[in-house]
Amino acid sequence: MKLLTSLCLALSVLLVGGMAFAQQSDVQQQQERRLVQPGNNAPVWREVRKEAQEHTTTVRGRETGVLVQSAGQTWRQIRNGPVTFYGGWLVVLAVLIIAAFYFARGSIKLHERPTGRLILRFGTAEQVVHWTSAISFCVLGLSGLTLLFGKYVLLPVIGYLLFGWLTALAKNLHNFVAPLFILSVVVMIVMWLRDNLPRAYDFQWFRKSWAFMMHGEHVPSGRFNAGEKVWFWLGVIGLSIAVSWSGVILLFPNFDQTRAVMQEAWIWHASAALIYIAIALGHIYMGTIGVEGAYGNMRTGYTDETWAKEHHQIWLDETKSGRTAPGGAVPAGAPHMKEKS
Amino acid sequence: MARMKFLVDAERCIECNGCVTACKQENEVPWGVNRRRVVTINDGIVGAEKSISVACMHCSDAPCMAVCPVDVFYRTDDGVVLHDKDLCIGCGYCFYACPFGAPQFPQAGAFGLRGKMDKCTFCAGGPEPDKSETEFRKYGRNRLAEGKLPACAEMCSTKALLGGDGDVIADIYRERVLRRGKGSEVWGWGTAYGPGKPGAQPPAGQPQPTGARS
Repeated sequence: MKLLTSLCLALSVLLVGGMAFAQQSDVQQQQERRLVQPGNNAPVWREVRKEAQEHTTTVRGRETGVLVQSAGQTWRQIRNGPVTFYGGWLVVLAVLIIAAFYFARGSIKLHERPTGRLILRFGTAEQVVHWTSAISFCVLGLSGLTLLFGKYVLLPVIGYLLFGWLTALAKNLHNFVAPLFILSVVVMIVMWLRDNLPRAYDFQWFRKSWAFMMHGEHVPSGRFNAGEKVWFWLGVIGLSIAVSWSGVILLFPNFDQTRAVMQEAWIWHASAALIYIAIALGHIYMGTIGVEGAYGNMRTGYTDETWAKEHHQIWLDETKSGRTAPGGAVPAGAPHMKEKS
Repeated sequence: MARMKFLVDAERCIECNGCVTACKQENEVPWGVNRRRVVTINDGIVGAEKSISVACMHCSDAPCMAVCPVDVFYRTDDGVVLHDKDLCIGCGYCFYACPFGAPQFPQAGAFGLRGKMDKCTFCAGGPEPDKSETEFRKYGRNRLAEGKLPACAEMCSTKALLGGDGDVIADIYRERVLRRGKGSEVWGWGTAYGPGKPGAQPPAGQPQPTGARS
């Protein structure tokens, strides 16, 4: 043990000494070159081009001591290159696939007539949280798309004056709506975590998902089906964390984070957000025109028994047998079922 | 018309910060914003100390122009990169992309909210009418319109900082290098004006400086 400690100590002394020596030799090289080969200042310019190397300056501010940063050009190429190109086409492709699916398949309709018996599917708290995150997501998505693609898509159409006003609005909306989105998603994750835990029957759903989508075959599901669960884990949890974490870094430049940190955060933010938007388009489609009755469920909180039977049979059975409380935060004594008036 | 450039002679700069002061005074730059700064490497080490004055270099293929989401940047016939503050949204992307750390943001609110970007204009003002009151208030003095060169370079006591027609200042510098036999590197020109010989042309698609000697 003693040997190990002394070995570590010796190593660290060597390391620190080595670093000091390297620094010393850099400066010495610069000093010597001035005398030996005055026409070639290469050691000086190597020092100048060291990425994120802070030198001395009297001007206060972020990275004012850095003479040249090369990472900015790399960031520019990644942003204006792959992120804009592939990200843009990803969103366009998602829209095209959904449109093709809609025209080929049409919306998924109920097989049986609605019974008229309504079951509470989403409590008031769940609706509020869902719509808060949904609306804030749309605002963030649209403003973000404006900031990245507006220069190519909107500016040539609406001109500088209107576009300048629109992007200023987009930036401010993006900045001020973001905290609301983060908050609502955190609540949403806690609220729906239990109902999104994977169950054995979810794997069956994946096997039959094509038959369900194309031919309307019946696949029993819990409160959320396996597709919704994937959306929950991948989107609501995974992509939200990626987007929020990187977004907060960009949102608060007052913590003096360096340009390298903000460039990297931007690449994560834009990439994750574009994937998020592409997947969200699928969710929005399924929740509106893709599945008959789906929108009304979240809008009113109540669903028809036929809809519940055809889409979430296991949840319906559990609700009816009283094993699971229907909906979310239901006040005690509130009617879980009600007759359509 | 000429292709305007800055040239800093690291062999001559004595870190007096006269250029920084001249810029602030001439353009009445607000507090917290410095369009120009002097950076010293190996400060205090005899024989290894070098100082360089940095501001916007008015790049040929300007990264700020490429990443701006609102396209506020434009290039004058003199090759000077200017911007329209009325359109700027303060996103900070030009600051991420700029190799020289030129874009500055006055704080416009809590949490470091960025105001409209401010940077060196090569003393050439902005999109407003030349020498107008609004132009001065937003961008500072338009010395080029008055037939003068940038205040920083004009004020430089050792003439380390040269500003003007790229070909003319390159000639002055070449003569200096030949006389003293050292310090031939032109700092930042490769980054700002592209690889190859000093005075490289802007890439295709950008307005070409007219009348520039090759």
